Amino acid sequence: MELAKTLQVTLNKKANPKTDLYVDLAQSLSGVFLVGFLWMHMLFVATIIVSPELFNSLSEGLDKYYLAQVGIPATILLIICHIFLAGRRAPMRLRDMRIAWRMTKMMGHADTWIWAGQVITALLVGIFASMHLWTVLTQWPLRAATSAARVASVGPADPSWGGFTFPFMIVFYVIFLLVGEYHAGFGLYRILVKWGWFERHKMGYVLKGITVIIVALGFIALYTFTKIAGGGA
Amino acid sequence: MGRQLSFSIFRYNPNIPGDAPRMQEYKLEEYEGMTLFVALNDIREKLDPTLMFDFVCRAAICGSCAMMINGRPGLACKTMTGTLPSRINLMPLPVFKLIGDLSVDTGTWFRNLQVRTESWIHTNKKFDPEALEVRMENKTAEAIYEPERCIECGCCVASCITANIRDDFLGATGINRVGRFLIDPRDERTDAEYFEVVGSEEGAFGCVGLMACDDNCPIELPLQQQLAFVRRKMAQAGLKLDLKGMKIS
Amino acid sequence: MSAKNAYICDVLVVGAGLAAERSAVEAAEAGLNVIILSLVPPRRSHSTAAQGGMQASLGNAALAKGDNPKIHFEDTVKGSDWGCDQEVAKMFCETVPIMIRQLDYWGVPWNRVTAGKKKLPSGIEVEDTKDKEGLITARDFGGVAKWRCCYTSDGTGHTVQFVVDTVVCKLGIPVHDRMEAIAIIHDGETCYGVVARCLRTGELNVYLAKSTVIATGGAGRIYAASTNAVINEGTGAAIALNTGLVPLGNMEAVQFHPTGMPPVFILMTEGARGDGGYLLDKNLHRFMPDYEPKKKELASRDVVSRRMIQHIRAGYGVQSKYAPQHLWLDIRHLGRQWVWTNLREIATIAGNFNGLDPAKDLVPVVPTQHYTMGGVRTNKWGYAYGLKGLFAIGEAACWDLHGFNRLGGNSLAETVTAGYIVGKQIVKYTLGATQDFNYKLVEDFVKQEEERIKNLISGKNGKEDVFEIRDAMQQTMMDHVHIFRTGPSLEQGVAKLQELYRRSLKIGLHSSGQGANPELAQALRMPGMLRTALCVAYGGLMRTESRGSHFREDYPKRDDANWLKRTLAYWKEGADLPTLDYEPVACPIMPPGDRGYGEATAGPKGK
Ligand SMILES: Cc1cc2nc3c(=O)[nH]c(=O)nc-3n(C[C@H](O)[C@H](O)[C@H](O)COP(=O)(O)OP(=O)(O)OC[C@H]3O[C@@H](n4cnc5c(N)ncnc54)[C@H](O)[C@@H]3O)c2cc1C
Ligand code: HEM
Ligand code: HEM
Ligand code: SF4
Ligand code: F3S
Ligand code: FES
Repeated sequence: MELAKTLQVTLNKKANPKTDLYVDLAQSLSGVFLVGFLWMHMLFVATIIVSPELFNSLSEGLDKYYLAQVGIPATILLIICHIFLAGRRAPMRLRDMRIAWRMTKMMGHADTWIWAGQVITALLVGIFASMHLWTVLTQWPLRAATSAARVASVGPADPSWGGFTFPFMIVFYVIFLLVGEYHAGFGLYRILVKWGWFERHKMGYVLKGITVIIVALGFIALYTFTKIAGGGA
Repeated sequence: MGRQLSFSIFRYNPNIPGDAPRMQEYKLEEYEGMTLFVALNDIREKLDPTLMFDFVCRAAICGSCAMMINGRPGLACKTMTGTLPSRINLMPLPVFKLIGDLSVDTGTWFRNLQVRTESWIHTNKKFDPEALEVRMENKTAEAIYEPERCIECGCCVASCITANIRDDFLGATGINRVGRFLIDPRDERTDAEYFEVVGSEEGAFGCVGLMACDDNCPIELPLQQQLAFVRRKMAQAGLKLDLKGMKIS
Repeated sequence: MSAKNAYICDVLVVGAGLAAERSAVEAAEAGLNVIILSLVPPRRSHSTAAQGGMQASLGNAALAKGDNPKIHFEDTVKGSDWGCDQEVAKMFCETVPIMIRQLDYWGVPWNRVTAGKKKLPSGIEVEDTKDKEGLITARDFGGVAKWRCCYTSDGTGHTVQFVVDTVVCKLGIPVHDRMEAIAIIHDGETCYGVVARCLRTGELNVYLAKSTVIATGGAGRIYAASTNAVINEGTGAAIALNTGLVPLGNMEAVQFHPTGMPPVFILMTEGARGDGGYLLDKNLHRFMPDYEPKKKELASRDVVSRRMIQHIRAGYGVQSKYAPQHLWLDIRHLGRQWVWTNLREIATIAGNFNGLDPAKDLVPVVPTQHYTMGGVRTNKWGYAYGLKGLFAIGEAACWDLHGFNRLGGNSLAETVTAGYIVGKQIVKYTLGATQDFNYKLVEDFVKQEEERIKNLISGKNGKEDVFEIRDAMQQTMMDHVHIFRTGPSLEQGVAKLQELYRRSLKIGLHSSGQGANPELAQALRMPGMLRTALCVAYGGLMRTESRGSHFREDYPKRDDANWLKRTLAYWKEGADLPTLDYEPVACPIMPPGDRGYGEATAGPKGK
């Protein structure tokens, strides 16, 4: 048993002593890129607040220069990598989850809670992002009107459900927005904490500030979409 | 008249056959300036002479008395009961092997850490009793002293979920310790050698940035800065070694 | 049942403080097989609590210019009030600079000289010169002619112990921590090792060695108020005394440090005064210059402590929630920057325990038991009297570097220097010794300890409460064997201690004593602690003079004609008092004279 363990360690070392470095770097880079993407994405989406024309021209531009065609698959790939890289940090075994949960509850330590939140939001982001991508990509191309319709769509509105309607998409987007920004904002915070020179408490305030602004933009954008769908603006 | 304090203390002595882990209640009257050191000794001497815990310096400098105080790790000797609610919950530090009740084996863990990280000055120079000491800037000496202040209490390790889950993780104290040697001009280890010690998941790259260490270190070592410093150094070293095409054996 | 495990080695070091580890390094480097035993992991030993620094005449700092081992020697002898062994002191003063540099080579981050002019709190201007820049600097300390105290901020003991421990780790010397030596195995001539009780499991173990080293530190905890760690119960010296063959030297010489902080009696380092701190009375008057115009707050510790008590007795003490009577330590004028870098540890302690910030608040202080000058009497090479193969070093020993008063900073310096010098002797002795021991003898010692444990658990000898006896002993020492001593009071003290000693033989446990039971641990130590306390009290009673820290109000003068001698206290089997013997103290280099402080004025002064 002992021997086997040491042998494993030796073999691992031999494989490439720098794997851990690369993986850690890649994890942080995937995080940084994703945060960059998400914040950028939210700014793009927020152009709708200014005018549907701007939104349209931007997305036309992206299509025209094949930025979307390259960007979207790249992003998907990035997410998949990120899931593998960052996902390995999440407690996997039941035993680990128990320990993590017990310690988190017991200590009442802010940053540890934040991390627990990040692991949980990660799951949600994963699910939501695939649904979101599915809906967006199956209804190509993307224009203000169609997006607005989607955002504001009510469902299932199927008579067999008794004509029951509910604005699922808007609820979906609101939750997605909150969860996504939480995961990204605190993710970036922790990357900077791990690598950075900055005092983390000050940095925390800055990042929270940015996140609040972006979430606010997201809300306004969603509101604008519903307005457009409703025939206003 | 002081408050009535109720203590809920973890009890388990693995050396007594048939003993089972449980929480035991004790009541004491508080008085001015009472610390947990005083309180626990009162309990042992007046209420229950079997209660096990560790104190040495009772001045917050030796690191013996760390325990989970109302869920958070801290040094019992410097914790004034006045800063706590009247219900006080005491548990041994997790991660470390339990000796009995509140007493855990930090000694073995830390010794192991020293050996694993080879925390001593590596040099090829021979000591020359005739020669003057090698000169050093006072600033450098102070910079080395800063991380060297760690009292090996184990609070950072106990509060780190990574360390709780993975028993091969060096913890903030271990990474901090290596950081101390990294900046010491007397240590002649190369980047490659340091990389071998902490450039891995067990070391600098295993830290997830939970910062419980930073918030719970009783002597307020700047652990965030230390961890980030070592991480950057190791990344630099790792990447540089690669560019030069050097191999770490 | 017999001992759980038996370990055999060349050198057994009992203790893991600085003295212990330094000697272990010396032995291991010579290729010997060494085992270290300790109550606690090495880095928790009380050596780590030393704040101020280590004396070594490097002569680098501005006010250290011209320093050399000879001046260091003179300060040491004066400090000791001519009670020390001058040959030892000479050897020590000559070796200690090398030790400091070796520690530097091993990694101690000594503070260094930075060139430039500086204004000291006293108003004096000094200049550190370029040629010394980057060399190890020093600070002022009590009772010295030159700045000689090398330091790392105020964590000197911490850094030095940690660094020496790194060498121990590197050499792979096994440390058995939580292992308490409870009896010395001997046949009346030679020491063969110890019986030790494991503080994890409660099991008894046997350690057999060619050489056994007692390096178990001080015995401060025989007093109620002490700056010492709670593990400093003097058990190492007590088990040596218990053999009946090994004497403790000069146990009546107990140092009281001027600045313990009540109500917890944690030390405020002498560095605070060395760096320019003042002592103030209830009128916030700086009173020390009135008593000691030359050295002021920096006379030797015995003198400052006595002056403080004298001043308190004259009605100038402060009454506050910290203590019924105390004085103030004032370092506010050193400035926040200085306080929180060079005196950070004490600033933190004042904050932690009294909520004070010394950069803006006064800190309450009162003289507090601090150091045991006495200990296992050895010759100048560290061989204990009475048994072959037994050595003693550090605070547990009476190598007799300190005589009747130790200079601040000389003790840490002693630990490593003795570790080195005696370490070499240990190597020499061990290489020449053979390992032969009588199995039956070892068994008998184990049986004896088992018997003691059994009786404590069953309450066969009585049902006395161990904690009650301990508290009574500590209080007796405070009441009768403190800074100012008198014949009648000492007599009472001795009588009370004798009574307590008899009761300590009748201790019975309240608990089951199973496993590593803490009550049992205390009960096993108790008779030994009382014997030690009796050596202090009785030695003090019989010494009818005042010398260094031993001050008899009824004999206030030093009496070189009759008392230039060292007390040797033996404990004969069945006795309830130590048997005292004396040996002459030679002064081959520096004949007895005036210390230059302490004697200047007699009566209390006040404003
Ligand atoms: C608060 C404070 C501050 C001080 N500051 C200074 C200073 O600035 N400069 C200076 O020169 N001196 C200072 N001193 C004095 C100095 O620190 C000590 O005298 C010195 O460190 C003693 O070292 P040591 O190795 O002899 O013993 P210690 O460091 O006390 O070590 C004793 C060892 O013995 C072990 N032990 C004890 N009994 C047993 C047993 N029965 N079985 C097994 N192991 C046992 C303990 O576990 C411990 O490892 C200070 C002392 C105090 C209390
Ligand atoms: C747009 C989407 C996403 C963004 C912007 C994002 C961003 C980040 C960032 C910046 C981090 C911190 C990384 C680090 O500490 O090095 C992180 C961590 C994490 N992410 Fe994501 N992420 C996204 C999606 C996902 C998804 C879909 C999953 C998995 C299902 C996921 C799982 C995790 C996990 C488990 C962590 C914790 C890693 C750790 O503890 O270090 N993330 N994420
Ligand atoms: C993991 C994170 C996300 C990914 C990978 C992702 C991906 C995409 C993609 C590829 C598009 C089409 C883009 C284009 O052509 O411009 C898109 C559109 C859009 N996204 Fe996201 N997105 C993410 C998160 C979010 C979040 C958190 C919101 C919150 C509100 C959001 C709202 C929108 C909206 C409103 C559109 C417009 C199109 C539409 O829905 O029809 N996205 N997203
Ligand atoms: S880094 Fe701080 S918390 Fe961790 S062991 Fe050292 S002193 Fe304790
Ligand atoms: S708590 Fe643990 S994960 Fe890193 S930041 Fe501290 S070591
Ligand atoms: S007893 Fe030393 S730190 Fe608490």
